[in-house]
Amino acid sequence: MGPDAGWTSYPPLSGPAYSPGHRVDVWAQVVTFTEIAALVAAVNIIVTVFKMRAPGMSLNRIPLFVWSQLVVSFMIVFAMPAVATASTLQLAADRAVSTQWFNPAEGGDALLWQHIFWFFGHPEVYIIFLPGLGFITPIIETFTRRRVFGYTAIVLANITTGFFAFGLWVHHMFATPIPELGQSLFTAASMLIAIPTGVQIFCWLVTLFSGRPRLTAAMLFILGFFFTFVNGGLTGVMLASVTFDKQVHDTFFVVAHLHYVLLGGAIMPLFAAFYYWFPKVTGRLLSETLGKWNAWLFIIGVNVAFFPMHILGLNGMPRRIYTYLAETGWGPLNALVTLGAVIVVLSVALFVVNAAISWRAGRLASANPWDSYGLEWATPSPAPNYNFVNTPVVLGRHPLWDTGSPLPVITGLRSDRREVLITTTFDARPDHRHKHPRASIWPFVMALAMGITWIGSIFTPWAILVGLGITLLVMLGWGWASSQDIEVERVDTEDRIVEAA
Amino acid sequence: MTAPLPAPQQSLGDVAELPTVTFGHRSLMWWGTLGFMVIEGWTLALITAMYFYLRQNFHSWPPLINGQPLTPSLTIPTINLIVMLVSMAPAYLAARAAKRLDEGGVKLWLLISSLISLVIPVLRWYELWALNVRWDTNAYGTAAWTIVGTHASLLVLDVADTLGLTLLYWVRRMPIKAMSDVADNSFYWYFMVLVWVPLYLIVYVGPHLFF
Repeated sequence: MGPDAGWTSYPPLSGPAYSPGHRVDVWAQVVTFTEIAALVAAVNIIVTVFKMRAPGMSLNRIPLFVWSQLVVSFMIVFAMPAVATASTLQLAADRAVSTQWFNPAEGGDALLWQHIFWFFGHPEVYIIFLPGLGFITPIIETFTRRRVFGYTAIVLANITTGFFAFGLWVHHMFATPIPELGQSLFTAASMLIAIPTGVQIFCWLVTLFSGRPRLTAAMLFILGFFFTFVNGGLTGVMLASVTFDKQVHDTFFVVAHLHYVLLGGAIMPLFAAFYYWFPKVTGRLLSETLGKWNAWLFIIGVNVAFFPMHILGLNGMPRRIYTYLAETGWGPLNALVTLGAVIVVLSVALFVVNAAISWRAGRLASANPWDSYGLEWATPSPAPNYNFVNTPVVLGRHPLWDTGSPLPVITGLRSDRREVLITTTFDARPDHRHKHPRASIWPFVMALAMGITWIGSIFTPWAILVGLGITLLVMLGWGWASSQDIEVERVDTEDRIVEAA
Repeated sequence: MTAPLPAPQQSLGDVAELPTVTFGHRSLMWWGTLGFMVIEGWTLALITAMYFYLRQNFHSWPPLINGQPLTPSLTIPTINLIVMLVSMAPAYLAARAAKRLDEGGVKLWLLISSLISLVIPVLRWYELWALNVRWDTNAYGTAAWTIVGTHASLLVLDVADTLGLTLLYWVRRMPIKAMSDVADNSFYWYFMVLVWVPLYLIVYVGPHLFF
């Protein structure tokens, strides 16, 4: 059952001629199913950020983590349709109903796959690590007790990164026949994207130097991020050059680069975030001693494992091989890589032990154990599912530092139904109250119908038609069930407010 | 666990007088609908870009089969385009009645919308064959079928949504909140129709001009 045409599933290898059976169809349809879920979640996050903020949280007071999630959601909206189209409407269709997208004999084009795949694939890299960058600001601010330098610059850098990320995809295709002008453009764009990322790094460094950092486990991971990610970014600028890229294409140099960027840019901040928010989620603190071991071993292990790969790549060791001849002389450095990997495994094992023990028996956390500023720290630990008894009002970028606890609130939302406050998009002024639907089995039934559709479509294209029918029936059932919910509402018809049911 | 008693909090305002149902860009569902329009419009834009990308692989566009160009027929597609443009009128009137909380008007215009909307997918079926090429003939046929077919999936969903709303309004007492849904359904319908205009020009009229 397992897909066997590589994670990029390039045709013609993945096409009907060279991959018979259903292995590649599993890849194609599960990718699309997942991307549809990602798209729905992205729309959900965009609407939540635009319309459901705490009153007073104008756009220029949104926490930087939320900004990064907003930018990521917009990137998902524009990136995921590309891979969903490529995998289902093109690859799966070529395989199941003999469309000719990638068949050169009938005017199709195998390279078209690479374009559309990487038009998704490159933004995806930023989709992975922009949330990581979002974690960094609150953690640095909390553990230096300094407000971040250059809030607006960081927001603009986030947005710029989101835009530029869509202009780089061809640098994954420098070894294919593309026009020279295209090569120059994509080289320039690939170098350009280092600038907004650099702006963010400098803002954080200034913030760090202006305070006296407390070196908690979370903070160690952030320092590891700076060291590792900046190295990965620099090799990224090197790879943007076509001549250099062709020299190290498909070698371990690229493997080193992508691990420096993703382990440094996404995983280290993710560990930091885990240490930082664990008490809010579970009500208990992780062990700081184990955490510091976890951090040091991880930072050292990652660098020992991946730094030698730069040299191996420059020496010509290709990617995706499982063995090589002793005469190549790559043995000693590969042994060092293995040692690094063992250190990483030890580090992650310590982390798992730490999380398991602390979940049960860790030190109890107060509502705000780090003396931080964000709204989440005004709720008890663990945060109750309703978050706040009354919706807090935000008067600055650092609510708990600006106004202290308890935060001022607004009142008047009904508590006998799931009512939430909707605010205006820019200034977050209270606009209206929205009734969320009651708990219902129908969304789950809808998810089942979608799951049956997509899993069925691996085996036969008719599953799409049958599944569509089932899904439409479920839609009707859902509408029927929710139409039972008749209550008196205050309706704003734009010229007057009417009470009606 | 027992939650600690909340500390006394200063209230900066009371929102009990605010409305609970709004229309258009103030409501959450409108924003959600807009989000899906962007996703679906962008998907169609990507497929259209690929249609033009494949042009470079052919000497003539549309390609020749047995010396004859595969130009699409225009009659059915043009009739369907007109029907779709006309269908925006009852959709608009249904939305206007909804904003006035006029339930009779909503039921009437939803019914008329439904009757018109039933014709469109049927015409769409013949419209696919009006391309005069099969999806598996060559890459041109593939791209043209994919553009028209992908738009057809949006069409079928919105027709189903309109029929479902109409059915619910005629057989049940609907909550007042559903008026906002009626307006959003029309909003999506405008998108579905308007996004078709450039696609119609590219897929059906274009080949006559390019050849």
